[in-house]
Amino acid sequence: MSVCFFLGALSSLLAWWSVRLSLITGHLAALAGAMAGLSVSLGILLGNSANKLSLPLPSFFPFARQSLVVDGLSAYFLLVISIVAIAATVYGPAYLQAHSPEAGPARRATQVLALNVFLACMVLLCCAGDALTFILCWEGMTLSSYALVVSDDQDGENARAGLLYMIMTHAGTAMLLVSFLALTERAGAFDFASIRMAANGLDGTTRSVLFFLALVGFATKAGVVPLHVWLPRAHPAAPSHVSALMSGVMLKVAIYGILRFGFDLLAPVAEPLPPAWGWTVLILGTSSAVLGVLYALQQHDLKRLLAFHSVENIGIILIGVGLAMILWRREDAGGSLATLALTAALLHTVNHAAFKGLLFLGAGSVLCRTHVRNMEELGGLARHMPWTAGLFLLGAVAISALPPLNGFVSEWLTFQAILGGASRFHGPSGLAIVFSAAMLALTGGLAAACFVKAFGVTFLGRPRTSHAEHAIEAPLSMLLGMGWLAALCVFLGVAPGFAMTLLDAPTIGLLHSLGASAIVTAHGPLVLSTALATPGGISGTTISMTMLAILIAALLPLAWMLRRGLRTAPQRVAPTWTCGMVPTARFDYTATAFAKPLRRIFAAIYRPRREVIRETAGTPYVIRRMQYTGDVVDLAETQIYHRIHYGITAISQAIRDHSTGRIHVYIGFVLGALFLSLLLFGGGQR
Amino acid sequence: MNIEIVHAVIDDLGALLLFTMILIVGASQISRAIYAVAFQSLFIAIAGAVLAMATGNVDLWVIAGITLTVKAIALPWLLLWAIRRMDVKREVEPVIPDLATLTLAVMFVVMSFHLSASLGSVRQAISGNALPVGIALTLNGVLVMATRKTALSQMVGLFASENGIFFTAMAVTKGMPLIIEIGVILDVILAALVMTIMVLRVRSTVDADIADLDRLRG
Repeated sequence: MSVCFFLGALSSLLAWWSVRLSLITGHLAALAGAMAGLSVSLGILLGNSANKLSLPLPSFFPFARQSLVVDGLSAYFLLVISIVAIAATVYGPAYLQAHSPEAGPARRATQVLALNVFLACMVLLCCAGDALTFILCWEGMTLSSYALVVSDDQDGENARAGLLYMIMTHAGTAMLLVSFLALTERAGAFDFASIRMAANGLDGTTRSVLFFLALVGFATKAGVVPLHVWLPRAHPAAPSHVSALMSGVMLKVAIYGILRFGFDLLAPVAEPLPPAWGWTVLILGTSSAVLGVLYALQQHDLKRLLAFHSVENIGIILIGVGLAMILWRREDAGGSLATLALTAALLHTVNHAAFKGLLFLGAGSVLCRTHVRNMEELGGLARHMPWTAGLFLLGAVAISALPPLNGFVSEWLTFQAILGGASRFHGPSGLAIVFSAAMLALTGGLAAACFVKAFGVTFLGRPRTSHAEHAIEAPLSMLLGMGWLAALCVFLGVAPGFAMTLLDAPTIGLLHSLGASAIVTAHGPLVLSTALATPGGISGTTISMTMLAILIAALLPLAWMLRRGLRTAPQRVAPTWTCGMVPTARFDYTATAFAKPLRRIFAAIYRPRREVIRETAGTPYVIRRMQYTGDVVDLAETQIYHRIHYGITAISQAIRDHSTGRIHVYIGFVLGALFLSLLLFGGGQR
Repeated sequence: MNIEIVHAVIDDLGALLLFTMILIVGASQISRAIYAVAFQSLFIAIAGAVLAMATGNVDLWVIAGITLTVKAIALPWLLLWAIRRMDVKREVEPVIPDLATLTLAVMFVVMSFHLSASLGSVRQAISGNALPVGIALTLNGVLVMATRKTALSQMVGLFASENGIFFTAMAVTKGMPLIIEIGVILDVILAALVMTIMVLRVRSTVDADIADLDRLRG
């Protein structure tokens, strides 16, 4: 597998000879790697649940033995990576050619090389069997994705986005590194088995401190509010298939890290996790979900909007993870509710990877044909790019959690887990869980509204600019890449029971109790039920996605017949009546206008700013030109980051004002410090 | 050589070193400070030779020789040459009053003796009171650097501080390995060369002293 990625990286060298050839061989090699990853992970997930693949690596460093260990959890994330990687590599070459045909060999070579390194690092990261490999791959992943973010730079903006990304993730990595080093120091070795042993001897406070350090590190990468500020800038800046990978997969790698640390490395033996862990994750998840979708609503840049939705979906996943952390080993029902929550989170992981990948690829198709990211300059694309529009619509329905697609399944499971959890807790904690359920519901509704806007403004109506007017359908390979993910969305939505078998290995491996399929698909693979998870309390709920899909399919012709059949008057095609004026594209509903009601409702969070400049001809009733500008602020950005920024600036200014610049004063400081420390510590051991 | 004689010689030399140090701190003319530091280096070279005779360590002979040629002769000569070249006869330009500097210097000396009492385990039987003297020299050298405005007098401070480190090393470990001593000496030579060149250059191009560099502050 890694051989393929290595070959892909090598093929970037070919770019000096032929740009096109290197592009295709590089992506083909990556595709082969992804296929290999898919087969490895499926082999492990479908095999015996105790199955583990372990592979010693040649030792590069004298002080650590490196190895790859693929257990259930690793294999599951490997599967997620491979799924999106297949789509992205099929999609990539045509996209890069169409989007920036003028790029020289150097840029192409960088892109191909970075893509292969990026994929290889993610794959190896999930399979890492020791801390050193983990950290190395983590850094490799960051660096190569940084290279991809800045590879497509026309103005300085991508470079700035990349810089912000670098700074944020490195700050996060520093935290992670502290946690890892503390553990390896204690264990005396780098491999996870000895770290696990060492973690057994930790006392509660140390354990929690280490977990929270790691959580900050992973949350930065996952784009959890309030550490998300880099995400909406960096993701849109990368080439679209890389955005799909970053959004669909790279964030999941951080989830993998949280799961690995929380449930595996740092978990106490046969005891529940400290309650603070789960609650923190739950609260972070809830706030990310709500704020992510709220900010997504006000974005008019298609890819930026999708990036904010990643924040939202990470939030949903974290709600499941947090719930599982709270409930694990804490209930009398044998941990089945925790399994349900974790199943929901893991299922949403793969679902989000599928539909977010699909949406980013769709956005990429639009981008490479129109070279415009702002929705207000698009419109009417459904006529010119019907396949892209259809696939994008499918993704939009999936992300809005509408049946019968996959987003619905995992959000339904999350809801079941939350409601089950709420019935277990009484008092404030139960209320908090219910609140989180309400927020999740709000998130779903807002997401639907957001995608009505995104799809409607981009693909329906009339083209607003000539960019949109002259768009043509995307090439076949790009459609193929999207089609693969769309097929997965439908499959996971219609027959989710089959995915549950895949979830057995990770859930059993992490929680050491019943597997996912034992709980969720107890009534056969086509029926989802939570009956086993909630004995006593409230009775379980059962739903069959397949029957639902058949029902919807059966209702479609009925609806069509009703629509056709009830219309008795003869049809006549005529332009829309617009009070005698000739209709233009500017009459269409704009994205800004669509989001306006919500902007008013949530004004406390958005703090909207608007400015209208009127140019009148003498009298206020005749307006020559009118200009409207408005934007909303990111609360985390203004309330946290700007304050930190001002604080640092103020301190630096103060230091600068008080520093004299005289050498002897500085020497004096050194002398004073030396004198004091000698005085304080020198006489200690008398 | 008898161990008690060595003791006595090293202690006497330590007293002389402290005396030269006080001379450096209190010197009102820069050339006097330079002569004082040259004598200080000479005493250190003698101390090295005495220790070499007592222990039979050949390396110490080499070190003593290098100290004599480089620190007691070559570098002071360089500094004097620079002064003549720049034609400065002026005072050393202290930052704080001389009396305050001297008080501080006395405080440092007292503190080093106080401190070294607690460091009994590292003291060598052979070198007697060398350790507190070394610490005092080091600290006072830094003090000179901190309280003088002109670059040349700061350089004198650097040499004195360097001498202190040398003496401490000799006292505690019977001399560091030869290669390290040579490296340290080379560092000092390099620092002296760079600083001299810089002082001359700055003076010849913009007619300012190092102390005026604070005007560059943004």
